[in-house]
Amino acid sequence: MDELPLHGVRVLEIGGGIPAAFASRLLAGFGADVVRTEGPAGALTADEEVYLLANKRRVTAAGDDLRDLALAADILIEDRTPGTLDGMGLVPQRLRRRKPALVIVSITPFGQSGPCAHYQATNIVSFAMGGIMSLTGHPALPPLVTGGSQAQVLGGLNAFGAALAAYYGSLVQGEGDWVDISLQECAAGMLELYGAMSESAKVGPVMRSGNQLRAVWGIYPCADGYAGVCCLERQVKAFFNLLGDPELTEPRFADPTERALNDDELQAKVFAWFLERTKAEILELGPKHRVPLGAVLTPADLLASGSLAERQFFDTVPTPAGAARIPGRPFLGLPWQGDGLHQPAADTSAVLAEWLGGGR
Amino acid sequence: MRKLPLAGIRVVDLTMMWAGPYATRILAEMGAEVIKVESPSAWDNIRTLIPQPGAPDPWNSSYYFNDYNRDKKSLTLDLAQARGRELAIELVKRSDVVIENYRADVLDNLDLSYDVLKAAKEDIILVSMAGFGKTGAERDHVGFGPIIEQMGGATSLTGYGDDGVPYKTGLSYGDPVGGLAAAGAVALALIHRRRTGKGSFIDLAQRETMALMNGEAFVAASLRGQGPVHHGNRSPRYAPQGVYRCEGVEQWLAISVRTDAEWRALAAIAGADDLASLEEEARRSFHDQIDARIEAWALTQDPQAAMETLQAAGIPAGRVLNTENIHDDPHLGARGFWVALPHPRMEPWRQPSSAWRFVEANPHLRRHAPLFGEHNRELLVGLLGLPEAELETLAASGIIGDAPINPGVG
Repeated sequence: MDELPLHGVRVLEIGGGIPAAFASRLLAGFGADVVRTEGPAGALTADEEVYLLANKRRVTAAGDDLRDLALAADILIEDRTPGTLDGMGLVPQRLRRRKPALVIVSITPFGQSGPCAHYQATNIVSFAMGGIMSLTGHPALPPLVTGGSQAQVLGGLNAFGAALAAYYGSLVQGEGDWVDISLQECAAGMLELYGAMSESAKVGPVMRSGNQLRAVWGIYPCADGYAGVCCLERQVKAFFNLLGDPELTEPRFADPTERALNDDELQAKVFAWFLERTKAEILELGPKHRVPLGAVLTPADLLASGSLAERQFFDTVPTPAGAARIPGRPFLGLPWQGDGLHQPAADTSAVLAEWLGGGR
Repeated sequence: MRKLPLAGIRVVDLTMMWAGPYATRILAEMGAEVIKVESPSAWDNIRTLIPQPGAPDPWNSSYYFNDYNRDKKSLTLDLAQARGRELAIELVKRSDVVIENYRADVLDNLDLSYDVLKAAKEDIILVSMAGFGKTGAERDHVGFGPIIEQMGGATSLTGYGDDGVPYKTGLSYGDPVGGLAAAGAVALALIHRRRTGKGSFIDLAQRETMALMNGEAFVAASLRGQGPVHHGNRSPRYAPQGVYRCEGVEQWLAISVRTDAEWRALAAIAGADDLASLEEEARRSFHDQIDARIEAWALTQDPQAAMETLQAAGIPAGRVLNTENIHDDPHLGARGFWVALPHPRMEPWRQPSSAWRFVEANPHLRRHAPLFGEHNRELLVGLLGLPEAELETLAASGIIGDAPINPGVG
């Protein structure tokens, strides 16, 4: 087994909320030496700490020490409001001048510039301003924020990739960069076909469609929960064969244009089919008949999944409350480590000595 | 840095639909030369989804396709024909990365597995991003973004709360999430190659990256056996929190109150001074009544002005921007986020810029998505050194083409 791909790469996380912690969690798993300075108390919930702080060393540092840690790092990741770094003596442009190879990644709700750069946001505000919320939820109910903290985690996932791309550029060119990531832009740039449709085809805003975009693209109650189907045109026939209703060969359902006009009637048929079957039955039919079928699985379902166990997906993190099992490596192919949690400030003296050298 | 970070990296892009093309759009934004390979008879179906009305060649005129394939080159090659496959191998020899999002067995069936690619180029990086991975009992499952979202746990965690119904995200959320992770995987594999000289084979299961987006729910499930809790638009941390209908058609404002001070400020603005002294616990207990008061105020407000008023008082508030008015958001406008690119077949429309804003290298949109087979000559003759005359032979046997052989399929 090769050594961890980011072995020896130093990452300083100026702790704040989820975005910086998520990005550097992935870097830590791939072997980076991630040092986290604590953010405001309560920035992360206890469960988020278990998930996001594994493999990280935790320090308390300010003033010259903090600046020297930043200059000893290869990558600095932070998600404080714009200008906060300046107040900590970590002016990004100045750090970049003093250490040209340094990569700095800043993640904020609205980016470092523009009239709303200093706006306050929590996850729901970022989710709303990124456009995805307008598409999510039942048409007769208000737009719905998705579970967890998706706007913030999405920013963290962007920051993970951007930090790595910038670090690669730094290895090649000898110069790093300052990457300005806005949670709003992370979402606004991935509005599937809906953003482009509204903007270019002048069809007005595309509104939320609930769980059934159309009959063959939706989620339905099944015998023991919820399950779903997502067919492209080429898969509709196989799905109809599964449904086994002779009416489905009639043009009003078989023809894509006519089908759209009879979608309610088709939905009723699909609804009835799902209701008679369990999630397990539905999942077995999918690959067998090459129909994109899925089931609404919970974290507990996934923790019990044989397929994920076979792929050794989960990491185990010891906590005072027992062993937490958490999603591990984002992909297979390069070595990854799962490891335990450190106490706040526990690593201050060791990190100062290692990163800043003797005389301390 | 002065040049884009992936300048000089060549990517053979076998991906289709959204997840893979989103990954390679990011690689292109970061300066990589991305070569999109499609067969004249098996091409990216997105090409004909929502074309510009009246376009003579719809496969070149889809907004959806163009948004996610700009800055790339197009090469047609039928990989199922021997000569097509041979040319793909020649291209791999001159490339750094191959990326694909076929079903788990397809690349092997084309005899283009990692071992084959590695024999052609020792340090090649192959990123496979099948929905459920290349191994494991579920590897044969078929799935698009919404299926990935259901199977990765995210859908179970979303809902209004009173009816127990789970809700999917209003777009194929699994796709861009998988694409983002794949772009990160490419960068990581390039770092690994730079440090060790070795290539790698990345097996990315989109369902697994989706599970990563809700890790704390797995902590709750494994430590306390806690199942999904639907909060609607409320929050276990902030109260009040919600989306409130404003003046106009389907205009909504999200508001999230973190502190007593923010609540007092909101109560004053919304004319709810009598409730201003409520502390967090009480605000949670009387959330319904508080919502009614905020909603009564919001209904009389223009959403943009209301957002500005609340933000001026330090209260987290944001419009639920929709797929139309997000293009006119003054903040995104001031940041130059939307850019209209010239296109040879289509009227220009505003597309999103890179979310990875390198302040110094300054990535920017360079070119519209390629027309079908637009770069065949450049790549086959210019890069692979084929004699000009072979282009005709290849076209005659359907290995390359400048239009789909079966334009009706899609």
